[in-house]
Amino acid sequence: MKAALRHLKRHKGRSLLTLLAVLIPVYTLVFMFGFASANLQDMFETATNLESGHFQVRGISEHETASTLPLIDDTTAVLDVLNNTDGVAWRTVRLDVPALASVGDRSESILVQGVEPATVARITPIETLLVEGTYLASGENGAVLGQGLAELLDVGVGGDVVLLGVHPDAAMGVIKVPVIGIFQAPDESMERSLIQVDLSSARALVRRPTAATAVVCMVEDVAGPWDVDKIDTVSSSVSERLPEGFEMVDWRELAPMVMTYMNIMRPVLFVFAASFFVLGALVVANTLYLSVMERTRELGLILALGASRARVMRMILIEAGLITAAGATYGALLGVVFMWIVEAFGGVPLPSQFADVFRSMGLSGEIHLSARAGDIVLSAAIMAAVALLAALIPAWRAARFEPVEAMRYVE
Amino acid sequence: MSNSTILRSIDLQKVYHTGTLETPALNGVDFELHKREFTAVAGPSGSGKSTLLHLLGGLDRPTGGEIYLQDTPLSGLTKDELAHLRLTQIGFVFQAYNLIPVLTVLENTAFVLELQGIIRSERIARARKILAELGIAEYADQFPNRISGGQQQRVAVARAVVSNPSIVLADEPTANLDTATSLDLIDLMRRLNEERGATFFFATHDNRLLDRVSRLVTLVDGRIANDQVRDAA
Repeated sequence: MKAALRHLKRHKGRSLLTLLAVLIPVYTLVFMFGFASANLQDMFETATNLESGHFQVRGISEHETASTLPLIDDTTAVLDVLNNTDGVAWRTVRLDVPALASVGDRSESILVQGVEPATVARITPIETLLVEGTYLASGENGAVLGQGLAELLDVGVGGDVVLLGVHPDAAMGVIKVPVIGIFQAPDESMERSLIQVDLSSARALVRRPTAATAVVCMVEDVAGPWDVDKIDTVSSSVSERLPEGFEMVDWRELAPMVMTYMNIMRPVLFVFAASFFVLGALVVANTLYLSVMERTRELGLILALGASRARVMRMILIEAGLITAAGATYGALLGVVFMWIVEAFGGVPLPSQFADVFRSMGLSGEIHLSARAGDIVLSAAIMAAVALLAALIPAWRAARFEPVEAMRYVE
Repeated sequence: MSNSTILRSIDLQKVYHTGTLETPALNGVDFELHKREFTAVAGPSGSGKSTLLHLLGGLDRPTGGEIYLQDTPLSGLTKDELAHLRLTQIGFVFQAYNLIPVLTVLENTAFVLELQGIIRSERIARARKILAELGIAEYADQFPNRISGGQQQRVAVARAVVSNPSIVLADEPTANLDTATSLDLIDLMRRLNEERGATFFFATHDNRLLDRVSRLVTLVDGRIANDQVRDAA
């Protein structure tokens, strides 16, 4: 070990090159995984937190072509199942009603979302997006709408909106609600087509006092899409015990964009990672091979003195192991430090045209980096292992030197 | 083979092939080396001295004939078995590039013991002892490039005898040394031969050293031209 360290120190330039051959791929991979994971997490959180939750319980539709969610007359049985299922962190009842919103002579086709204000904040960002007025309170008759819709209807905070509920499973209901808040959403269509009201107000629109369209649920300890197993376990348990007439719909169906992104990113990351591993391994093999050739006489002497071929191979592999372990560790550490710096500054802002595209996909307008520890360790470990495998070639070559010829070798 | 015979070659032949060109280096060498002998093999350049040493030491394989170390025929051994035999039975001193540059004098001396799997404390103790015996203990912590050529060859001799091998083979150990240092080195080897009972067989073309040996084998054109037991000075 000491001799291996001295060899590495003696040939500083070559050792540095080998170190970099491992360090750079690991560093780059940590950055890539950080970028991909952050995007994926961002997308997953946006999808699950904004609308879908981790899974929803809905009524089974009797109208195959209906674009609206079927009405559930009573959620008591569903809530009983959820209350008695381990791992359900949180749930809220929602009632989505297609409606017509009118102010004076202006009307717009919109979606009324009846929510439980006390619990809904977990799956809606609207309270945080308010630019005017206040958010809903339980039992309060009021409406919160997007700025785009407010402009279309020419209404502001304090004005009244008349809502006409047109759910196909229910009779039409009409209510008049005062506008108490206006929000700005990154998604323009959301801003122009959504009105949130208290659940009781929405129920008046369908004229059913206990109606709902979905119970939205979140599962405990889910940090990102990599924790899908936890979601699957809980949702399966719920699904098995649901009363007849209900179905469980999970985030894959509710947020297919996240799955698409995951399905695209996986092979892309794999190809990049494999390319980096191969390139790094080639450089390691090449530099170690040169090192072995440079030390031909020394290795010949060691073999002449009686070292076994396995011993000589081990010597070369120990050197390779030390340098690749150092390269992988430093690469991972540098990657982590870089991520930490980027996140300490709140991410790297994207140019506006890209930021807009990202925002329209429900992502943030900055580059964020948040690689998981497992990905970092795995990148470093695989790179070190591949480099060590590559080192087998020069090690094997060294072990097969003929002592006499090797000692006569002239560089 | 008598009881005192350590090494024996029978009709030993070696031909080097370079493309279609064949160059005979040894042409049937019959030779016995006995315990505690201090033998030199002399002869002009190209007479086959180094080839003979390499073959006797199991560093190369003959084209014909057989070598017995103790009673073991070398031709039947695999490369790894030959390596093990070199490690346990033979000490080597080469003409140049004898020491491993990244190891200190002490570590170089103890290197063979390390290969033999001897525990660190014992190999360090044995290496220090032989360095002291050869008067180079003060260089124990130096790296080879910090000591003179003569001192380096002394370290090589120390490494060759530290494991008490059956025989020490030295290939022109004084080739790169001045006269005084060469004589010192040969005297040192002779002292080890007498005091430790180590058997030495070394190649040289330096006639100044020959009056120190107890037996002189002269090679000419790959054959033994003369094998003479003599009284050493």
